[in-house]
Amino acid sequence: MKLNLNSQHILVAEDQAVMRETLKHILYEMNAQRIVEAESGVNAIAAMRKTSFDIVLCDYNLGTGKNGQQVLEEAKHLKLLPFNAIFILVTSEQNPGMVLSAVDNKPDDYLIKPFNGQQLLNRLERCFMRKQALADIEIELDQGNLYQAIGNCEKLLAQNDKKMRMQLLKIRAELALKISDLKTAKAIYLDVLLERDLPWARLGLAVIAFMQADYEQAIEGLQDIILQFPMQLEAYDWLAKAHEATGNIQAALTALNQAIELSPQTILRQQQIALLADKAEQVDIANKAYRAAIKLGKHSVHKSSRDFSGLAKNLLKNNPNSNLLNLVSDLLEQFPNDPEARLRAATLESEIYGALGKNVLAQESYEKTVKLNEQFGQEAPRELRLEIAQACFKKGDAEVFDHIMQDLIKTNIDDKKFLETITQVCTTVMGENYAESLIHRVKQELVDINNNGVSLFKEGKIKEALGILEQAVGNLPNNQTIVLNITKIMLHDLKTSGSTMAKVQKAQAYINKAVQLGITHDKIGGLQTELARLASTKLK
Amino acid sequence: MTKLVAYKRNWPASPALNSNKIDFMTDSQALTVHFPAILASSVHDMKNSLSNLRALISQLESQYPESKPPEFKQLEFESNRLNNSLMQLLTLYKIDASQFNLNVDESCVRDILDEIVAQQSSLLALSEIELIAECDDDLFCFCDSTLVSNAISTLVNNAQRYCHSKILLSARQEGEYVVFYIEDDGAGYPQNFLADSQKTFGIDVVTGNTGLGLFFVATIAKMHHQGGSHGYIKTDNASSLGGARFSLYLP
Repeated sequence: MKLNLNSQHILVAEDQAVMRETLKHILYEMNAQRIVEAESGVNAIAAMRKTSFDIVLCDYNLGTGKNGQQVLEEAKHLKLLPFNAIFILVTSEQNPGMVLSAVDNKPDDYLIKPFNGQQLLNRLERCFMRKQALADIEIELDQGNLYQAIGNCEKLLAQNDKKMRMQLLKIRAELALKISDLKTAKAIYLDVLLERDLPWARLGLAVIAFMQADYEQAIEGLQDIILQFPMQLEAYDWLAKAHEATGNIQAALTALNQAIELSPQTILRQQQIALLADKAEQVDIANKAYRAAIKLGKHSVHKSSRDFSGLAKNLLKNNPNSNLLNLVSDLLEQFPNDPEARLRAATLESEIYGALGKNVLAQESYEKTVKLNEQFGQEAPRELRLEIAQACFKKGDAEVFDHIMQDLIKTNIDDKKFLETITQVCTTVMGENYAESLIHRVKQELVDINNNGVSLFKEGKIKEALGILEQAVGNLPNNQTIVLNITKIMLHDLKTSGSTMAKVQKAQAYINKAVQLGITHDKIGGLQTELARLASTKLK
Repeated sequence: MTKLVAYKRNWPASPALNSNKIDFMTDSQALTVHFPAILASSVHDMKNSLSNLRALISQLESQYPESKPPEFKQLEFESNRLNNSLMQLLTLYKIDASQFNLNVDESCVRDILDEIVAQQSSLLALSEIELIAECDDDLFCFCDSTLVSNAISTLVNNAQRYCHSKILLSARQEGEYVVFYIEDDGAGYPQNFLADSQKTFGIDVVTGNTGLGLFFVATIAKMHHQGGSHGYIKTDNASSLGGARFSLYLP
């Protein structure tokens, strides 16, 4: 199918009236009928909320507000772009993919200014063809069905279209990484490298080394990439991760700083620096990064109330003063009606008033914190919940402390590192055995439920077994064992008592959840194959 | 009191260019300014300004539906040249400052030629010159396609000035290289532009009109490498159309 602009909804986002007119003129000459204009990032987003566009031509430079990359990020975050929509970022940057890139949010293509109508049309047609070719993969990814996406990718690869081959191999390897099928990913990357020394294949190998906890090899590979491809910014991010994993925070910070120097607009890297520097107690560096992140966050969907509280806490330690309250009101202003921000603000307020000796106000804020915690606590990020728990403990609220800790342990029972953090926090306030016995209790509960479910299953009481385990998922949502067992029982049920569409979909949802929880391909791959077989043979 | 220290240097440069500084000394303070960085940001600014200028030109142009004054052709041509030169200066600066690497992927050569023809399309529409593009549909090449099409486009743009009426743009596989040819029917390259290997081609050519364009494409050709071989360019007068022939070899 060829691209016909006649029926396409097109958004042109460009702050300069002259350029906007020119673009519109070009598009009308190419038969476009439905063009909407926006002269700012905010208006572009507003237009996308109203209309589902097929094509978005967005200038990178949109004046004082959001830039084009931020518009893209927000549109993706809010799911304003259909999976087959074409988003083209217009820029005068010569190698935009490198300078402007954000890891997960790349536009479909860049168009470098100046360009003429023919170039625009060529670009649109190429994007359109590519989108069509990859649609079968994208549509499954949109639904979270990684295995189906992989199946469709394999089918496309088998068609042997040379034009798509490299792209498909890259996608196939990335999908393999997502399901922790390192073997397949590695084989693809090595094959590609035999043919050509491409940085993405080398990066893939380094990522695999990282995932296998072979940090030394990962670091060596990444440093090699950076030496030869200094604009391969993702390599700096992985290098920082690898250094952090070996405990070399200083080297991790250096890597991130190098990347920021090359591409200053990336808020996520500033946030990463702030957290790392905080960890290493390099307060000045942390504060500088927090400030940068707050500034960049003004127009970004990646803005985080954590940047405000991180900065405020550091400043509070150094020099408690009432100016810090301004930071709290800035925080509330930037995040209206955001429960997490309100929780952070109340916690901070209480600490600031406490440090200033205003005990009545401190107590008021504390009570506000406890109340907000009851309302929204469970949705808050775990680092904040840990902080709230500590504040409660200080106030003698052992019950709230206990409650939060139990919940944190339950929801993170598979995360050894975080459990260590919890144990550390608990040890300083409650003594050594507190956390350990809590963790032990939760683990015991898990074993009991699981055994219970498994023995019910063995007795043939499938429905009851599923009932018990599914209830447990509500209570312990992130536990791999339970999710894996539910999936197995469901497959057995499908085999013995027949498939229905609803059952197949439910089993698929559990498999997707298992992948999301990081259960590796060697454990889940076989189940997926079986489900696919059951679905295709029995559902006719 | 102002003390100016300026450095003159030749390309290709060592990676230390951005450490060359001009120190502006004043009575009260010393400001250290990185000259190449200012140069680069100015070039960037000029590019933006040029891009607005082009938008204005194209708006003006659209007000002449039937017979457009011939000056538009010249305006488009000159602004194209200006833009390409600025782009190349900026890229060379970045290569030197280690802020650049190729973005290599497997590209369909037909797409690259289409892009070059598209870049020239509005210009060609206003002139009498014929641009012919020829290659196999299943010819593929590992390269930075954006950069390669820009570089070749500049040379095609130049060829328009020197050809009589025809430019042939073609590409084919020759051993381990994909070779792009630009041939024209003009008077051919003058003696000092002829170079038959990557060794003799270089600095001394950076004098004439198209020095930058050729130097640029030679630089990025060299950056493309595979195994032990890397890309290079050739200039000769062996055009099948009787004029100049430019060849870009990419491994």
